[in-house]
Amino acid sequence: MGEVWRSAISDSLNKFSGKIITFLPNLLAMITILIIGFFVAWLFKILLLRFLKAIQFDKVSERWGLAHIVSKGGMPYSPTHLLSQFFYWVIALITLILAVNALELAATQNFIARFFNYLPNLFAALFILVIGYLIAIFLGQAALIAAVNAQINSARLVSRAVRWFIIILSLTMALYHLGIAEKVIVATFTITFGGIVLALAIAFGWGGRELAKDFLEEVYQKREKKGEEEDQISHI
Amino acid sequence: MEEIKEADMLIGIPSYNNVRTIGHVVRAVTAGLAKYFPGAKAVLFNSDGGSTDGTQEEVEKVRIEDFKTILTSHPVHPVHKIITPYHGVPGKGSAFRAIFEAAKALNAKACAVVDSDLRSITPEWMELLLRPIYEEGFDYVAPLYARHKFDGTITNSIVYPLTRALYGKSVRQPIGGDFGFSGELAKFYLTREVWETDVARFGIDIWMTTLAIAEGYKVCQSYLGAKIHDAKDPGSDLGPMFTQVVSSVYALMHEYQKLWKGINGSEPIPAFGFRYEVGLEPISVNVERMIVNFRLGVKDLMEIWRKVLSHETAHRLESIERLSDEAFSFPQDLWVCIIYDFGIAYHKGSVHLEHLLKSMIPLYLGRVASFVKENRESSANEVEENIESLCRVFEEMKPYLIEHWEEGEKRR
Repeated sequence: MGEVWRSAISDSLNKFSGKIITFLPNLLAMITILIIGFFVAWLFKILLLRFLKAIQFDKVSERWGLAHIVSKGGMPYSPTHLLSQFFYWVIALITLILAVNALELAATQNFIARFFNYLPNLFAALFILVIGYLIAIFLGQAALIAAVNAQINSARLVSRAVRWFIIILSLTMALYHLGIAEKVIVATFTITFGGIVLALAIAFGWGGRELAKDFLEEVYQKREKKGEEEDQISHI
Repeated sequence: MEEIKEADMLIGIPSYNNVRTIGHVVRAVTAGLAKYFPGAKAVLFNSDGGSTDGTQEEVEKVRIEDFKTILTSHPVHPVHKIITPYHGVPGKGSAFRAIFEAAKALNAKACAVVDSDLRSITPEWMELLLRPIYEEGFDYVAPLYARHKFDGTITNSIVYPLTRALYGKSVRQPIGGDFGFSGELAKFYLTREVWETDVARFGIDIWMTTLAIAEGYKVCQSYLGAKIHDAKDPGSDLGPMFTQVVSSVYALMHEYQKLWKGINGSEPIPAFGFRYEVGLEPISVNVERMIVNFRLGVKDLMEIWRKVLSHETAHRLESIERLSDEAFSFPQDLWVCIIYDFGIAYHKGSVHLEHLLKSMIPLYLGRVASFVKENRESSANEVEENIESLCRVFEEMKPYLIEHWEEGEKRR
């Protein structure tokens, strides 16, 4: 009886130590990955910070309105710090996932494989959103100035329309890239914009016939008047 | 050009669809050269931007058959004509570049450029633009004109006072369009790589004048009389003209910052020519529309302006916006403050440059409207005194510019 008991205990201990011996290298690998990964993330952050400062990224961001958006959002950091911090955490996240993967746990393997497959889409979507937003701000401002210089009273409306059109377009593209309800997104976008155009056409052509008539008459008269009262001064 | 080899003088005429006026300009130039420089070997260089109305053919065709009707003696050398399209960015500056290259190739001693849409050019212009270079040792001759009191508003409200305050030389028409310059200066212009910028367009005039002053060339001005252009193209837009000129002024301000920071006040430059009064036709100005544009700017562009202007300046603009058309007035010191603040913003690059410059247009129109209102009943001399007082404000407020410019430097 004592022999059986001893054998059971020793088998169990052997199995446990075997598992420990198998797991230990993975654990060490995880710790190594974590140390190297966080070091790489830190180094990348420092180098990126210096590079962005060298190319005066904050100044460029100010010019493009990015700094304004950042400060408007209540961020206490400059765009340079924000971007370097972002990349630090991206590398840190990848490090964490790789570290967990090093443990070779069956439950995490599938999740990690899917995550890495999805990562490019995530980056592409993020990139589309940021670029889309910047273009929207830039073109919105350009439209505003052009409309004011063309003496359009509703210049702000024109500017907002341009800005929101580009934001919605980039949002649609980003969601499409993420694969979130692709068909629904495309259909919604098509229906929404088609609907807006149709609504405007109907409103202008049917409901607002008189308004449209008045508007066109006003524009035409203004143009005629403009011809009559054209400035004759030479600006240069 | 290989046939001609060398020339004493080169007269450049940039053109683009100027068939109505270029014949008169060519005749005046030819007669002027024959009358005042009969012994000099001269070349007339038409730098064309691809005219489709027969401008080039007109230049080729124009001849003065009988010089006796205008001269007492016949010229020794006939004037050679070179008619060629220019290459590069379409614009006046690119046309000038081709003229500089021709001056260099022909080793010309004295050169002049005149606009092709001039109706008031006379043969005397050749003497006034070329003699200071050819015989008096000057390198650059700027024009002096009798113009309508409301003409040349970009010149009068921005370019003349700002150039004078910055570089200390009182060049009254720094962007006049008709200049004389030495062959050496033409060669110097060609050493600069600016032909893809606004200098290749409307910025060329202020670029030439500023470089001549800032690089220490001998500069003078000649009184040419009235400047009357062909009727303005109704399609021509103020926007590109304004932004190209102002952008060039600010870019030069950035380039020569070390120079202008050390200059106080201004001095007159030597002037040639006989001054006389000229009767000018009245011109119509739509002040109300300018005020409307200014008000729209205050309503919608203040968000952009606030990135450039101080809180106090922005507040003063809002106060002006509330004035009635009758009471509308845009004070000189406010205008100077705005011009300096936009120059600083251009230097710092805090706002996209095109947006910055285009957003200035309603402010400019507001100032022009105020100027026209103030001077409706004034004589030409009174208007000139008003412009001179604006120049003095520019000079008095230069410490403000230097102080804020350096604040920007420290932040960089």
